[in-house]
Amino acid sequence: MESLSFSLHSNLHSLTLLQHSNQNKKRRKITHQNSLALTPWTSHTQHRLYSSNLLLALRRNSNPTASLQVRAAADRVLAATAKGRTRWSRAILANPFGRWRKQRQRHHKKVKNCSANKCMKKTTPDIRRRLPAVQKKARVLGKLIPGCRKVSFPKLLEEAGDYISALEMQVRAMKALADLLPTGAPPPDPIGLS
Amino acid sequence: MSSRRSRSRQSGASAEITDAQITDLVSKLQQLIPELRARRSDKVSSAKVLQETCNYIKNLHREVDDLSDRLSELLANTDSNSAQAAIIRSLLM
Repeated sequence: MESLSFSLHSNLHSLTLLQHSNQNKKRRKITHQNSLALTPWTSHTQHRLYSSNLLLALRRNSNPTASLQVRAAADRVLAATAKGRTRWSRAILANPFGRWRKQRQRHHKKVKNCSANKCMKKTTPDIRRRLPAVQKKARVLGKLIPGCRKVSFPKLLEEAGDYISALEMQVRAMKALADLLPTGAPPPDPIGLS
Repeated sequence: MSSRRSRSRQSGASAEITDAQITDLVSKLQQLIPELRARRSDKVSSAKVLQETCNYIKNLHREVDDLSDRLSELLANTDSNSAQAAIIRSLLM
């Protein structure tokens, strides 16, 4: 009950997120990390909030909006909607072009051949205990989620769950926006636009 | 000082987390992945859950890329501000 009222109050307060005010650096340390008040990504309020903020952000750009700018705006507004309560959202707010910049750099990177011992040294103690298969996939997962390359295994799992829910809402909202915007020609299939 | 405290707390917290809690986190993550949800089997290994999680996130990233391209084209074609204003009003209602 208290968490619900707190969430509603946060939603009202977050309407001014676009001004990009500095968030206070109070980080509440709760003994049970699972009880953190994460964003309810499936709620209708969050969907509308994200959609309206994304449209406002896109209107700010110059008339020929590049696809890269749309992606960066979509991620930045998503992280702002999360209000920096998760590691991935704080990472996006700190470096909004991070994910797309990495994709560019990836073409020029050489494939590293590191020995097993070197790889083992880089991993955190929690991941080291696990089986090699889990360890390898955990490292891949850590690269996919912003800001989660060097986090513990339990933290990685928590961030992954919240990040997936956020991405699903982002896809829903962007699809709805694309359907709302007028097209040059009527679509051939009126039922589904996917 | 605050960074030191947070680090020490993080290390302490991570040491206290048991294997049962990790299993619980993996199980929660499994419920989010459509590929694994359809199976409804309890015998999915942690490595499999992580693999499908990576695949699902890559798929979502690809969908965001495609939708960004689509929105970029639609915004380029939309030249009247009144259309966008109408959209914003409908969204805010």
